[in-house]
Amino acid sequence: MDFNSLYIILSALVLFLLAMFHVAYLTYAERKIIARMQQRLGPNRVGPRGILQPIADVLKLIQKEDIIHPGVDKPVFVMAPLISLVCAASGLAFIPLWENFVLSNLNVGLLFILALSSLSAYGVILSGWASNSRYSFLGALRASAQVISYEIAMSLSLLSVVLMAGSFNLQDIVKAQLSTPYKVYLIPQIVAFFVFMVSALAETNRVPFDLPEAETELVAGYFTEYSGIRFALFYLAEYFGMIVMSALAVTCFLGGYAGPFEIPGIPFFWFLIKIYAFLFFYIWVRATLPRYRYDQLMGLGWKVLIPLSLLNLLVTAFIKLLI
Amino acid sequence: MNWNMLIFLYLAFAMSFSSFLAIISRNPVHAVLWVLVMILHQAFLLYTLGSEFLTAVQIIVYAGAVLVLFLFVVYMINLRKEERWKVFVRRSSYGFIIFLFFLYFFFKNLAFLTALGPAFKAQLPYDLSQGSNLLWMARYLYSHYLFQFEVIGCILLVVIFGAVFLLRKLKEVG
Repeated sequence: MDFNSLYIILSALVLFLLAMFHVAYLTYAERKIIARMQQRLGPNRVGPRGILQPIADVLKLIQKEDIIHPGVDKPVFVMAPLISLVCAASGLAFIPLWENFVLSNLNVGLLFILALSSLSAYGVILSGWASNSRYSFLGALRASAQVISYEIAMSLSLLSVVLMAGSFNLQDIVKAQLSTPYKVYLIPQIVAFFVFMVSALAETNRVPFDLPEAETELVAGYFTEYSGIRFALFYLAEYFGMIVMSALAVTCFLGGYAGPFEIPGIPFFWFLIKIYAFLFFYIWVRATLPRYRYDQLMGLGWKVLIPLSLLNLLVTAFIKLLI
Repeated sequence: MNWNMLIFLYLAFAMSFSSFLAIISRNPVHAVLWVLVMILHQAFLLYTLGSEFLTAVQIIVYAGAVLVLFLFVVYMINLRKEERWKVFVRRSSYGFIIFLFFLYFFFKNLAFLTALGPAFKAQLPYDLSQGSNLLWMARYLYSHYLFQFEVIGCILLVVIFGAVFLLRKLKEVG
């Protein structure tokens, strides 16, 4: 094994561990922030201000009994959470974290992220079917319909970014943004950004589009029958999905790693700051908005977001043609 | 035997084996999953041939959309009864003769293709050092093959109209 591939494997490992750390503390941040918004204290028993709470949660989930009830389709049941996690986490490999660091610099990196997010629907669908339970199955059906519909809107909104940058490579997209007068695509592509944010919420099954796991209707949706570490894998996948979607939004609309001034020694400083802002937005939305009704959700996807993003794409193409 | 050959052999074996399993699986959901495994290997094969774009499209279109719809259909109809049948089709053993027939043609064509191998490589109409695979594909698609491309677009549009029309009819009737 030569030095180069060893370096790539090591950096992949470091990136994954860092992302895991972020996921763990994202759950903590979510509980703390929502608690503040609801006039509560949130976790405050484990460690000072509850700072060790995620570690305690992980230890607890690992020790729990792993229940696989006899009605399930065992191979599919075991595989589903792994599919979810792998598809959600591998998207990070294509995101440029700073100027010269991207794990896999493909010339169609954006398409690969979309491909992975379309594959992650399998984890949900299969877990619902394999569980052999009504709640899980309903959750899975809802999730697959939702993910497929919103994927189209998301791809179309990202396509107008691709059209402006003239490349599918995320590194090139960031560089193309930096050469524009505003330094970000957020201002010329505000419509695409709106469509992207709404569909990103739906893709990651977050409130207000959390119908697949609507606690009040479906117990826990597609992962009702899961327990212990397998349940934790689904949770991890959801938060990984949030991080990848935020990173994608930062890269495509907010100028990626670039910031107003350079911080010496920390090349990823602005990238992290922007990601944290997006994650805060996710949490904020969860604390603020009620859940959509199912037909409203499908209506919003097909009748509003997809035509809107198509129109935006058309306008972008015309403007690009004229300039 | 170098790495490329090993990877290709693995992919070829995995693809044929998973399609075989897809055919013999009793459970329709398992069959769809084996097709998924096959499609992912196919995507990787395209990647080893240097076409990242086709890999991504293969995964997005086939794995991400078409197969999910297959799964939907399989969920909607109750196939529990079929699982208990001993044989799906009577006289299925005759199919074996057809299988042998195809196998014969397969090996015959295989020899034919390996003989043509170097010639195929020389026919590559573009120079990869002048730009990425994606760039060349886009250029050819929108210049040389523009007419075919537009025709396919029109056909897909007709299909969409057809689906909407059928749905309208259903709503009027029911």
